[in-house]
Amino acid sequence: MTKIGWLEKWTLRFAVVGLIFLAMSGFEGSLMRTQLFAPEALRGMETALNTIRPVAHEPTQAELFYGMLTVHPIVGIYGFAYMCVMGAFYFLVPFLLKREIRHKKLVPLNFWLQAGGVMICWLSGFFGLFNALYTLYWPLPVTYDRVPLAGSIFFVIGAAVVMVNILLFSFNIFSTVLSKTNPGDYSFWQFLRAAFGISRLMKWLGKEDRTAPNLDYDGFSPFIVAVARGSVDTVINAIVLLAAGVLVLVYGVSALMGHTLDPAAIDALVYKNWFWWGLDMVADGSVLMYTAGTWYLLIPLLVNRRLYGESVVRTVIMVDLLVSMGVWSHHLLGDQAQPFIMRLLSGQIVTWGEFFTMGLTIFASLMTIWKARPVKMTPPLKFVLGSIFGFLMGGAAGLIQANVGLNVVFHNTQWVVSLHAHTFLLTGLGTLLFAVVYALIPMLTKLELRSKRLADVHFWTWMVGSVGMAYVMGMAGSQGMLRRTLYPTPNPFQPYLGLALVGSLLMTVGFVAFLVNIVGTLGWKNVLSLVVPEEWLEGRIRMAHA
Amino acid sequence: MDKEERFWLGVLAVVFLLVNVITLSPLVPWQEWMLWSRPTPDQTVSVEFGDYEIGLPPEGVEVQVGEFVEFVATSSDVTYGFGVFRQDGTMVFQMQVVPGHENRMVWRFDETGIYDVRSTEYSGPRHSDMLVVDAIRVSP
Repeated sequence: MTKIGWLEKWTLRFAVVGLIFLAMSGFEGSLMRTQLFAPEALRGMETALNTIRPVAHEPTQAELFYGMLTVHPIVGIYGFAYMCVMGAFYFLVPFLLKREIRHKKLVPLNFWLQAGGVMICWLSGFFGLFNALYTLYWPLPVTYDRVPLAGSIFFVIGAAVVMVNILLFSFNIFSTVLSKTNPGDYSFWQFLRAAFGISRLMKWLGKEDRTAPNLDYDGFSPFIVAVARGSVDTVINAIVLLAAGVLVLVYGVSALMGHTLDPAAIDALVYKNWFWWGLDMVADGSVLMYTAGTWYLLIPLLVNRRLYGESVVRTVIMVDLLVSMGVWSHHLLGDQAQPFIMRLLSGQIVTWGEFFTMGLTIFASLMTIWKARPVKMTPPLKFVLGSIFGFLMGGAAGLIQANVGLNVVFHNTQWVVSLHAHTFLLTGLGTLLFAVVYALIPMLTKLELRSKRLADVHFWTWMVGSVGMAYVMGMAGSQGMLRRTLYPTPNPFQPYLGLALVGSLLMTVGFVAFLVNIVGTLGWKNVLSLVVPEEWLEGRIRMAHA
Repeated sequence: MDKEERFWLGVLAVVFLLVNVITLSPLVPWQEWMLWSRPTPDQTVSVEFGDYEIGLPPEGVEVQVGEFVEFVATSSDVTYGFGVFRQDGTMVFQMQVVPGHENRMVWRFDETGIYDVRSTEYSGPRHSDMLVVDAIRVSP
């Protein structure tokens, strides 16, 4: 058994629970796709599960479907992606800065709050049949003849726990980066100024001394700058969603006490703008920045060459904040009530800013690999290349739909959720997180990966499965298949759904190969040591030897 | 910024210009009237959404090919979507129907036929039932 350090163990715990959430989310996705393909296929399972649901009436198939559809992205994003990101950053940030995490007690607290908050949301969907979807379009979450009141209250409590936890995590990351042991020794306002790119802008305009140091120049690796910069988006996202949650909670508690508040008091379009502005900070802000930062970290490590174009990369990191703060209207391109100028500028033109920032990011990443030739195609490098492919494919689909003209026929179709969102999340972000796991395990445990062949099986089945699934569903979307809609059978979209199920099956094979490989590498004792107290485990081993 | 980076930035700029110029031009057919000519509609059709129902004019919607029709959709409760579909399930166009606002869209049908109307936004568990078959008749 290898001795794994305290922080390394917590990183692995975050990863393990994150992967459990990925499995849950994937299972939910497969169930929903099965129901779309053959609506009666799940009837037996639903009947059995309904016996343990404490609801007044037998839930309809649609209520169950939309309850699952509501929690599916919460589990996938705030469960899988955030847990893995938290675990990875809690190891990498202090490792790269060569200092300790500033508030160690927050590490286990973040772990439990994140897992607990996501599970409260999940339970509110499973038992409480909360079905307003993650979009929470006003006033649906407070329309209690459509959305169960108890489910609504529990969901926003779970979401609030997650958001507060994300704020705590971001605080810990910021305070570690800004720690007094840092030779740069920045104040919070200096950091914020640098995070928004103001100091760099002032230098460019000649208003400030160009030779003066500032945060983004001053010795931090691009990864740290990207993490800190991405965390600005993360904080804004958490605050906005928290505010929306509090609003829903106020209406819910009020209804519970017999005082019905008027939903029309809140303008649905203003709310939608506010909500998407905050929500998009994750989709078009921190996810892209955290991903870029991770490429900037992993690629030079894997190919043993300095990052290409580091100066441009640092500017891109700063500029992207302005982009991510201004693109939310691409979610409102279908809203004719939204002023046209907002749809054109924020929805389309500013969104193309991401084409430039991600285009330059991917260029720097690929050029680093190109200039390091010959490179050894290790498992993490393959997954990094897979993630770049995922962001290229998902980004291209996103730019097609984020267009005032083309959105007329793409909005709310399967194109958006499959070819854009799922390609980003499964092929882009998911593959990158696998790359991080493959790269970090030797660093955390000093153990070599058990089987490169299994890693290859994982890579190809995951890539073919995720790309294939997204592609066929994207084509269904281009044929008019809506997202969030149950079609009676037979319908013209069933062949696409059948092929998508094959894709999800391939991904399952890849995920199992990954788990077998990781458990084989770590060994059962090390895996058990993540959940069982070490003293107890060592005692049991001694007893077994005796 | 070195030579390779400048070249790549140039490539990105060219793609940006090409795609945006093409998609904002009348090469995307409906951009011709949505962005450029902005014609006065030949007729206006009111569509009222509420309680999972799509309220179309009781006399039906009769349109002629080439005519500009303005659809004005309102909702009395939650957000819905107004989508027009061909008989084979492919989408002609759609827009969101946000409560408290008039949601307007002008369309010109180029093909004769009968079209269905479906809500394209989730509005609660009965959302998928919001379908009106044979809702719009387009004649020569």
